Amino acid sequence: MICPNCGSNMSDKRMRCERCGTDLTLYKKIINASNEYYNNGLARAKVRDLSGAICSLHSCLELNKKHTNARNLLGLIYYEMGETVAALSEWVISKHFKPEDNDADEYINKVQSNLTKLDNLNQAIKRYNNALTFAKQGSGDLAIIQLKKVIVLNPHFIRAYHLLTLLYMKDGENEKARRNLTRALKIDVSNTTTLRYLRELEAPADATDSLANQETLKSSGSASPIMPISSYKEDKPNIMVFVNLVIGIIIGLALFAVLIMPSITKKQKANENANYVNQNASLAVQQEKDAKINDLQTENDNLKDQVAKLQGQIDGFVIPEDKTNAYDVLFEAAQKYDVEQAKSESERDFTGIADILATIDEKQYGSDAAVALLTQLRTEIYPVVSEGYYQSGRSNYNRAKYEDAQAYFEKAVKFDQENVDAIYYLGRSYDHLDNKDQATVYYNIVITDFPDSSRVSNAKRYLEQLQ
Amino acid sequence: MINFDEEIEKFQPSPEIEQAEDVINNNDLTDITDILKELLKGDKEKQQ
Repeated sequence: MICPNCGSNMSDKRMRCERCGTDLTLYKKIINASNEYYNNGLARAKVRDLSGAICSLHSCLELNKKHTNARNLLGLIYYEMGETVAALSEWVISKHFKPEDNDADEYINKVQSNLTKLDNLNQAIKRYNNALTFAKQGSGDLAIIQLKKVIVLNPHFIRAYHLLTLLYMKDGENEKARRNLTRALKIDVSNTTTLRYLRELEAPADATDSLANQETLKSSGSASPIMPISSYKEDKPNIMVFVNLVIGIIIGLALFAVLIMPSITKKQKANENANYVNQNASLAVQQEKDAKINDLQTENDNLKDQVAKLQGQIDGFVIPEDKTNAYDVLFEAAQKYDVEQAKSESERDFTGIADILATIDEKQYGSDAAVALLTQLRTEIYPVVSEGYYQSGRSNYNRAKYEDAQAYFEKAVKFDQENVDAIYYLGRSYDHLDNKDQATVYYNIVITDFPDSSRVSNAKRYLEQLQ
Repeated sequence: MINFDEEIEKFQPSPEIEQAEDVINNNDLTDITDILKELLKGDKEKQQ
């Protein structure tokens, strides 16, 4: 035991302080009384009579403020009732009086270590304060919303239950109010507020006015401040709600049919028309394409026919044999002519060249230059060759070798139809060979084609003899 | 019978955790022992 005057330790059995001599009889009685209150508070707390425990513990602390156990227990009770700040303050004060070996250290650390829960508790307190403000301002609905959240954040907050119950009772929702009070009773079985509200809810309905009618009575000028709360009654189902709903649906359908359906129908028709137009356009394009295809097919057929015809012409076209050789023959004749021309006049022999030229058909040459060359060669060679054959023929004629002479004269006439002497002597040769018909032909040629020739008179004389 | 307005006035705002320091400082920690000491002190002064 510690002396309250000098603070010295002393035996519990002593009635007077050994150091300062202070009479401790009264002090001991006070200490004993505080302990009794503590025991009473502990016993109440064990049976969840938290309100009663708080009263006892307050009494204990009023007698002995340094009763650490009572203060710690009081903090626990406050924490259980959702009064977080009150709990923390009791534990802090307990630590102040007994810094060492104090259970309050453990309680404070447990609360502060769980920051999430601590924040939830703080949020619950703030929302409760907001709800209280709303309720005092008359916004009961908002207050109820806030209080529901408070209960979620701190399910042990008894004052929140009380306020929510009061608001439910005001709105006539007694069942909800009763549920709240039941939950509050589980936390603190002897809470006077809880018990009072419960008794109010259990009061008979016909004997009292409802809490919900208080404002209407106030507004009507009623002077009574105390209003009874009516018992809970089930509302009768309101048929008019369904009737109004059906009427609303009918009106909505009518408006839909009148305002919206025509525009939808119009839009559908417009779309159908557009589709019809597009289809017609595409059909026209298709028809145009078909016509073009037909035209192209016809043209293709015509072209094929032309190709076939041309191919037939090409196939029928006979390419002269050795066409390329024709030019070679001409070139050969020209080359030989050049060779003969290089010789002396007495050594020249154009008979071979003339025979070659006689075999060439100028029609096979497409080139004018080739035809001109051929003509030039013939013009230069044929008369010379014809004269040569004539001389040979005269040589044989003079030796009465009329058959040989006739052959030479034939060649002379072949290479030069203007060689009148060769023609005359050919006639003479036929005449000597008794071929009067041929002789007559050639005599007539001399007479007819060469009237100015000196051989005409003789040709006439011999022709008369034949006739 | 419960009057809503009277009941609602009984409800007081709850102090928040940030206000815990003020609550602790404003806590009256006077007990009977302190009163007794004052009384004894007064008696001594009178006797002197």
